[in-house]
Amino acid sequence: MAHTAATNDESKLIEASLSGDPEAYAALVRQYQKMIRAVTFRMTGSADDAEELAQDAFLRAYLQLGSFNGRSKFSTWLCKIAINLSLDWRRRESRRGEIHSKWAAETAGNPGNGFPDELSRRVQAALDRLPPKQRAAIVLTIYENQSHDEAAKTLGCATTAVAWRVFAARNKLKRMLKDLPHEQS
Amino acid sequence: MNNPELESILKKARLPETAEETLETLPRRVVARLDRNDPPPCPARGFAPRLAWAFGLAACAAIAFAAGHWSGRMETAATPATDSLAGAKLIREMMAMFPNQIRAIARDDGGELRLILSDTGDVPASPPLYIRISDGKHSSSFVTFSGQEIQVNGQTITVLADPRGGIILAGNQFVWSSAERTSTAGHFKIEARNLGAVAM
Repeated sequence: MAHTAATNDESKLIEASLSGDPEAYAALVRQYQKMIRAVTFRMTGSADDAEELAQDAFLRAYLQLGSFNGRSKFSTWLCKIAINLSLDWRRRESRRGEIHSKWAAETAGNPGNGFPDELSRRVQAALDRLPPKQRAAIVLTIYENQSHDEAAKTLGCATTAVAWRVFAARNKLKRMLKDLPHEQS
Repeated sequence: MNNPELESILKKARLPETAEETLETLPRRVVARLDRNDPPPCPARGFAPRLAWAFGLAACAAIAFAAGHWSGRMETAATPATDSLAGAKLIREMMAMFPNQIRAIARDDGGELRLILSDTGDVPASPPLYIRISDGKHSSSFVTFSGQEIQVNGQTITVLADPRGGIILAGNQFVWSSAERTSTAGHFKIEARNLGAVAM
């Protein structure tokens, strides 16, 4: 049986959105906003930018909804849009002299900026210090549980490139987080 | 710290809580920005798939013809088409990530990749070389550089490039040169290409 990724309810909402029903699309936004916010936050390290990018991702997804063919999960398709917008945002910020990136990295490292615990704050600060493509590879493979193949499709690169980015990112993260207590496996 | 331990730490990391109010406003803001009179463009469901296939096949035929036409002239610079290990983008990224450190990028026939690095960053800059060695049972692919050593079935093979782009492999029991235009050395079947024009 062919894998139909969207559930029945989801398919109905997509169909209704395609017919111009904004409330149907709002329901899709409600369903996936936490996931998309998580992706954009991990990529930017800033709640405000994550919010703005999540909104842009949903708007972009709406405009491209006709091209969603149901071969992948709707969530995977949305995630692809969000991660690529985040990478574009990173490139723009980088062209602006990395001021914002530094600010994001610094604020992620500051206490009292909303993180529930020290470990969460340290992990985000470490993610912020990775090159964007390596960070995207970690976000997709670790937090979104995508295989290297799926992540390669999301990022539009070779599977081997994803494998190397994950490899390089892991090595850097291990160095940055080595003092955190971890359960020996 | 090993990979599972790192993964466990990364997965324990939580995000700052998002206020309920913020969660409620995002769908409204998105909808407010949609043009209600302009639904998203539907896919061209009525577009004849056969026509699309015909265009696709015609494009493939044209590309294949062009590739065949130019293959003779481009042979020395051609990337092994079936091996993504030799992809210029991957090699450029790796070289940028580990400048003067990469001794070899190796892949075994199980598809597992290994990056062999120099600790001291003493690998001189030179065009990357693609080597594929098979002994009939197993095969290994490498992207490496002139002067480096690769290990195949426990045998150390030194890889050398000459100034004209030719490649020489020197093992314990054989010496193979791309100039000799033979693909075998001892019990090894060898494919070697200079990727300089592709990756640099």
